[in-house]
Amino acid sequence: MSDYKKPLPVVQPYSQAFWDGTKQNKLLIQTCGDCKATIFFPRQQCPDCWSTNLGWMEARGTGEIYAFSITYEGVEAAFVEDLPIVLAWVDLPEGIRMQSNIIECDPDSIEIGQQVEVVYKKINDDITLPYFRPIS
Amino acid sequence: MSLAIIGIAEVPTKRDPERTRWDMLTEVCIGAIRDAGVDKDEIEAVISVNPMAQPQMALDMALGRVPEVLGLKGCKDICVLNAGGTSTTNCLRLAKYFLENGQAKFVLIPHTTVQSDIPTQELINFFATAPLDMQWEYPYGVTFNGAMGLITNRYMHDTGATAEEIAAVTVSLRAWGALDPNSIFYGKPVTLEQVMESRMISTPLHAKECNLLADGAGAMVVTTHEIAQELGKSAAYELGHGVRFTGATPVLRKDPYFVEAYRESSQDALKQANLGINDMDLRQIYGAYPFTQCSALEGYGVCEPGEAAKIWAEGRCGPGGDLPCTTMGDATGRGHTGSGVSMAFYLETVRQLRGQAGERQVSDCNHALITTSGGSVMNTATTIFGSAPR
Ligand SMILES: [Zn+2]
Repeated sequence: MSDYKKPLPVVQPYSQAFWDGTKQNKLLIQTCGDCKATIFFPRQQCPDCWSTNLGWMEARGTGEIYAFSITYEGVEAAFVEDLPIVLAWVDLPEGIRMQSNIIECDPDSIEIGQQVEVVYKKINDDITLPYFRPIS
Repeated sequence: MSLAIIGIAEVPTKRDPERTRWDMLTEVCIGAIRDAGVDKDEIEAVISVNPMAQPQMALDMALGRVPEVLGLKGCKDICVLNAGGTSTTNCLRLAKYFLENGQAKFVLIPHTTVQSDIPTQELINFFATAPLDMQWEYPYGVTFNGAMGLITNRYMHDTGATAEEIAAVTVSLRAWGALDPNSIFYGKPVTLEQVMESRMISTPLHAKECNLLADGAGAMVVTTHEIAQELGKSAAYELGHGVRFTGATPVLRKDPYFVEAYRESSQDALKQANLGINDMDLRQIYGAYPFTQCSALEGYGVCEPGEAAKIWAEGRCGPGGDLPCTTMGDATGRGHTGSGVSMAFYLETVRQLRGQAGERQVSDCNHALITTSGGSVMNTATTIFGSAPR
């Protein structure tokens, strides 16, 4: 796994729980204990009410494609072997929208509104990245 | 509002590594000061944009070399203001503060960029990462083109705009560029077929709908409305200005293709100018990607939501059309000079209001609206200029 050349997420203290979650194949969403907001991306304080009374909830792990784009070229060298890359914005039923990739799919079959589910890829001992694939 | 642009100069957008950053910068600064008809020692402030991917030049400009090299003996202050595509707009805003406070009567605003001497892979890396979140976007292979492809797809889904209609925007932008000696595409129009058949980069964006990085430089001299009138020079008078912030990270924005930001910033600017959108003879939209040429028209209220792509496809916004837009060509039709694209937008707007735009000249052009945007359209900054003060 040490030959992974692509950029790894720059983890922050207040997002560590998210990445600890993906290691256990759980998609955790930050929540506000005061105003009940669901928060993405994780922050030090609730962006709605500035509360620091924050917690985590486990997402169902399903979503819907809000937008996508299939990239064929123009990426950094480390990503070339992955082309074409299906970029997607995925709406989770918990009320957040995430940037990810749709994998394990025929790129030409991807549509806005399509239902997807999370799939985890272990990169190294610290990082497991969440991706999505169509629900067949 | 008290700012007027009285002098301009530009080095045509090209890929020309023979020309240095300082060589071009000197040419445009001297050119703009001579065009303004003032003495170099009357320039009391230099407010500039840094070429962000060019660290040595960025340092030189931030730390005061411009007035020293030019021998601007009356210069009292310098300042660098960077915000990607709204950098030049920020320069104008600070200049207005200097003018209104009497700190300066004449302010020089220069820009220079050379990207052709930077290795392609380095440029890809810079433009891939500059606007991205290092935790939530970068690990997924998001690029500038990819992010804009995502937004374009959603815009098309919501409005019913077709890939051909979106491609037609580029045809019109290149048609303007083909008429512009300052464009890298001077004399090089494209057909709809050429756009549609160019390589697919990030769906739905073909290669000809993405930006060609290039070199260029521009400068302007600004003063107050009153001084501009005393000088009796043909000038562009700022009449109103409005801005909206949309957010740094594309996936998190509530206004994904900026219609509300275009609407609100243009309404603020038009209200200050005491004018309506139908009083505008020209609309200049700096969005760097073709869908913005459509969503901006919808936000301004030029047409109903979902109609703008058809209007572009009918050629109404291109040369000879009844709704001329973006005669500057945008980055797609002129070449992308980093933060210099917005400089070129203001320079072209001045030419149009002065009646000096050659084959691109919009007839009876007395009022123009211009919107610039920074980063991946983190904001929309809309300004109204007129050929006369209010
Ligand atoms: Zn809260």
